[in-house]
Amino acid sequence: MSDHEYEEQLAGSFGVDTFSKDFDYGVEEPDTEETLSSSTDSKPRILLMGLRRSGKSSIQKVVFHKMSPNETLFLESTNKIYKDDISGSSFVNFQIWDFPGQVDFFDPTFDYEMIFRGTGALIFVIDAQDDYVEALGRLHLTVTRAYRVNPNINFEVFVHKVDGLSDDHKIETQRDIHQRANDDLADASLEKLHLSFYLTSIYDHSIFEAFSKVVQKLISQLPTLENLLNIFISNSGIEKAFLFDVVSKIYIATDSSPVDMQSYELCCDMIDVVIDVSCIYGLKEDGTGSAYDKDSLAIIKLNNTTVLYLKEVTKFLSLVCILREESFEKKGLIDYNFHCFRKAIHEVFEVASVARKGLLSMQPSSPCTTVKSTALNGTPRVLV
Amino acid sequence: MEKMTCVSPLSGKTMFCHLDAPANAISVCRDATQVVVAGRNIFKIYAMEETGFVERLNLRVGRKPSLNFSCADVMWHQSDENLLATAATNGAVVTWNLSRPCRNKQELLFTEHKRTVNKVCFHPSEAHMLLSGSQDGFMKCFDLRKKESVSTFSGQSESVRDVQFSMKDYFTFAASFENGNVQLWDIRRPDRYERMFTAHTGPVFCCDWHPDDRGWLATGGRDKMVKVWDMTTNRAKEIHCVQTIASVARVKWRPERRWHLATCSMMVDHNIYVWDVRRPFIPFATFEEHKDVATGVAWRHPHDPYVLLSGSKDSTLYQHMFRDASRPVDRANPEGLCFGLFGDLAFAAKESLMAGDAGRKPYPGGDRRYPIFFFKKPDVTEQFAQVSSALSVFEFEANGGDEGRGRMDWFVETARRYLLTGKPFAELCDHNAKVAKELNRPQVSTTWTMLRIMYSDPGNPATPANHNISKLGNIPLMISLKEMSSALNERNKENRVDNLHNLETNLNIDENEETEGSEGQAEYLFGDAELDDDDLYSMEHDNQTEEPEYILPQEAFPLRHEIVDHPSAPEPPAEKPESPQVSGGETEGSCLTPMESFSLISVSQLLFQPRLPPGFFSPVVRAALTHYAELGDVQMAVSALIVLGERIRKEVDELTQEHWYMSYIELLQRFELWNVSNEVIKLSTCSAITCLNQASTTLHINCSNCKRPMNNKGWICDRCHQCASVCAVCHHVVKGLFVWCQGCSHGGHLEHMREWLKHSNHCPAGCGHLCEYT
Repeated sequence: MSDHEYEEQLAGSFGVDTFSKDFDYGVEEPDTEETLSSSTDSKPRILLMGLRRSGKSSIQKVVFHKMSPNETLFLESTNKIYKDDISGSSFVNFQIWDFPGQVDFFDPTFDYEMIFRGTGALIFVIDAQDDYVEALGRLHLTVTRAYRVNPNINFEVFVHKVDGLSDDHKIETQRDIHQRANDDLADASLEKLHLSFYLTSIYDHSIFEAFSKVVQKLISQLPTLENLLNIFISNSGIEKAFLFDVVSKIYIATDSSPVDMQSYELCCDMIDVVIDVSCIYGLKEDGTGSAYDKDSLAIIKLNNTTVLYLKEVTKFLSLVCILREESFEKKGLIDYNFHCFRKAIHEVFEVASVARKGLLSMQPSSPCTTVKSTALNGTPRVLV
Repeated sequence: MEKMTCVSPLSGKTMFCHLDAPANAISVCRDATQVVVAGRNIFKIYAMEETGFVERLNLRVGRKPSLNFSCADVMWHQSDENLLATAATNGAVVTWNLSRPCRNKQELLFTEHKRTVNKVCFHPSEAHMLLSGSQDGFMKCFDLRKKESVSTFSGQSESVRDVQFSMKDYFTFAASFENGNVQLWDIRRPDRYERMFTAHTGPVFCCDWHPDDRGWLATGGRDKMVKVWDMTTNRAKEIHCVQTIASVARVKWRPERRWHLATCSMMVDHNIYVWDVRRPFIPFATFEEHKDVATGVAWRHPHDPYVLLSGSKDSTLYQHMFRDASRPVDRANPEGLCFGLFGDLAFAAKESLMAGDAGRKPYPGGDRRYPIFFFKKPDVTEQFAQVSSALSVFEFEANGGDEGRGRMDWFVETARRYLLTGKPFAELCDHNAKVAKELNRPQVSTTWTMLRIMYSDPGNPATPANHNISKLGNIPLMISLKEMSSALNERNKENRVDNLHNLETNLNIDENEETEGSEGQAEYLFGDAELDDDDLYSMEHDNQTEEPEYILPQEAFPLRHEIVDHPSAPEPPAEKPESPQVSGGETEGSCLTPMESFSLISVSQLLFQPRLPPGFFSPVVRAALTHYAELGDVQMAVSALIVLGERIRKEVDELTQEHWYMSYIELLQRFELWNVSNEVIKLSTCSAITCLNQASTTLHINCSNCKRPMNNKGWICDRCHQCASVCAVCHHVVKGLFVWCQGCSHGGHLEHMREWLKHSNHCPAGCGHLCEYT
């Protein structure tokens, strides 16, 4: 992906409306397949599925469209497949498909093979506050069908709406769902099919974290990114660093130290602040320009001797770090290290895009990337 | 050396040394003399001397430090003191041999993991076995004699945060994951885990096997909890849970102390805690030396519980001595006081304190004790302070004017025990007064007593006697009818339950109608009896006409208010007869203040002179009842209304009465006191109320032969054209009492069946069932 492409994609303003285009895919529309095969093969799809009223559209709106969780109450139930192409404004080069819960997915007129073939991850949403027996049946059906078509799909189960449950109840619910779903799979002798479970809620950041993990699994360069971040933070005295997709506030990589929810929330909030301030003061006179561009840089000093540091990495990515005030005294070092880090990230994605162009479509870690990553691992001299 | 340290605890003091960089992990040598500290930019071995740490060796050598030196974890081999293993952030697992002669002690390098390795673990007894857990979700088992891993375990659930070999089971190891799962593996079976369970919400950062107890595994996670699991049972059981204030980074069982474990947190909290898992609310000991979060904790010697080592992000290495630890228990306030939602008051304090105070307890009955006993250790330094405490809960006592706010137990109890009818008026009042008194409601109790005094008219002994006789004559009939109807009700219920036997629902309808009819009669009879009373009273009502004459010249109203405000002010009894309104006001006042009522009763008894008409009190009583209703005690209002019957009924506005009745009935039904509510409905005189229990009752009947619902009235089912309930003996339709066998569902006329079963054991229908009639 060249810079030229970036610019084109970011020509529109930074905001919700750029990517909330409504792709009206009717079930029997003749050109569906054509469109899919031509333009979307290179973009792995994330399918959001689940029973009706389980919260799929809310998840999509909250994560990718910055809707406030309270507003999702007023969302009407989806009645057609809603395809959301967020690649125009987000690093996450994916399409999120929101399936209406009440459509019979396995209607013979419905070409599920076509849908599953290009899918990277299938997210099945289960409403934890509801009786989930029916949802489990549906999950089993969906998963087995999809697995038959495309065994490479990552199956992710969101045990959703857990905000109303107590801690014990959460664990118990997850355990129960896990147990039952896996028992069903074992009965169908599909032990190889692996389901990952996440407890999510749109009222806290758990949904972002879960989505981050889902997306991370689809990023073949993740080990490289993680290593780069590791090197970067250990050489700059930074406590924690996230590589954020700015639009969705999904972190596509972080260093290997454990993610603390508060730090993550802090970083998310920082992005919000930066974008909001930038929207007010950063745009040009005539309203053009973008709230997030090459020069985006923000430093927030908190009163507990912590410093938040945000800097643009690519058009869609930004690095957000948490560090101590002491470490921030060596700002020059951090800036230089960041410069190297940024260069390395660009190289990684260049390789990836070259590899993608050459080898077509997504592949689990193309050879070039691996070579590059080991080379990067072995060359710490890039950084101080 | 080891023997020696076992016998006498390690000598030493709390000491620390500065490291050059933040530590990520520490590990202690087998002989407890050296400790290795590893971090992203540090990898050193320190010797622990009597007075301080002495740097022995820097393993991070070379001009261009490789990323392999950037350690996430380190472990010293438990039996080979020259062997170390580290996990690098770039995915490498490195072993180090200290006996190598050259400066670079690196021995083996495994670069099989793609992402950061979070944990390495040597097998406790097997010399060459090393296990690693990585961010990429794999665990690998290395044989140090080979150049590559022997087996790979795929947890299939995100990043591995910790791996630990079991202390006792040779082949077992536990792995904890970032998605909250803990898995148990058999080292021989790399294809599938033995067991998996969800331990925490959010990542599980650490786990540790109990050094002595085979099945105990402690886990700590981001959800700020440390949980102890019993793994010996079929399903992992949580046996203890400790809540901490921050996510738990490391957990280590304390040697030689079965219940103790040390934890440190990942963020915010810089202290190291030692918990007694049986007392999860307060740490047993705290080490507060670090300025940043501790990243590694290790007990210095596997048999010495008094020395703890810790490395921290603040670039220090500490040796903590237990005697220098702070004990939060000593500083904790052992007394607690709390108000409950309903006004309950709980007070917790040390047992000793409570024992001294026992004699002065205000509510000895309301005292519940929850003693928490702790095993007292013989060692003085190990004593966990004063650990038994007592908790007293003082329950809110509902009384007089407060019942609206408190619990409603008294309401239910009162509703059950009040007698509203069936006895002479005076006895009813006495009984109800007793009930109220037992339930701690002196005001209500007094009101009942006063009602009795006001209306039972002791001055005319002849009249009440008459009255009693006339009433008594009617009462047995009432009771018998009541009993009958309640028995029938029970049978109705049985029918509902036993759908198979709907043979005689028809019959029940009949019976119901009959009983209803007869009840009507009973009421009528009762009404007659009342009429007699009424006559008695109406005679005396004549006196009432004089009343206005008393009131007007007296200017009773301001006076009355004054007395209400100061009910204790005694009135000279001589004045009473001439100012009836005043005395009435006083009685009302006494209703408000139960404390005064007893004395007032004695006073007012003096008032009872034969010529005082009972209706004379009516306005006062009416005011009292209204007062109760307004206070929310509609129960009292309605009960008094029913018991007083005609004596007061005319005084109270019909609509108000109806309102009271409705409210009371609704309350009763809210508390599922159906019987009481039905009784109240029956005894009420408002037409709107009495019709309540005659509405919305529907009986659905099924034919006994074809089991279809029977639509039209009559005895013949329009589908199978057979009679629905036929006597098995005479083969006629049963229209009266029907009895049936629950075993074979045959039955018939009560008389016929009884006759039949006198000389035969078998069912008259010939089905062969051995019916039994009792």
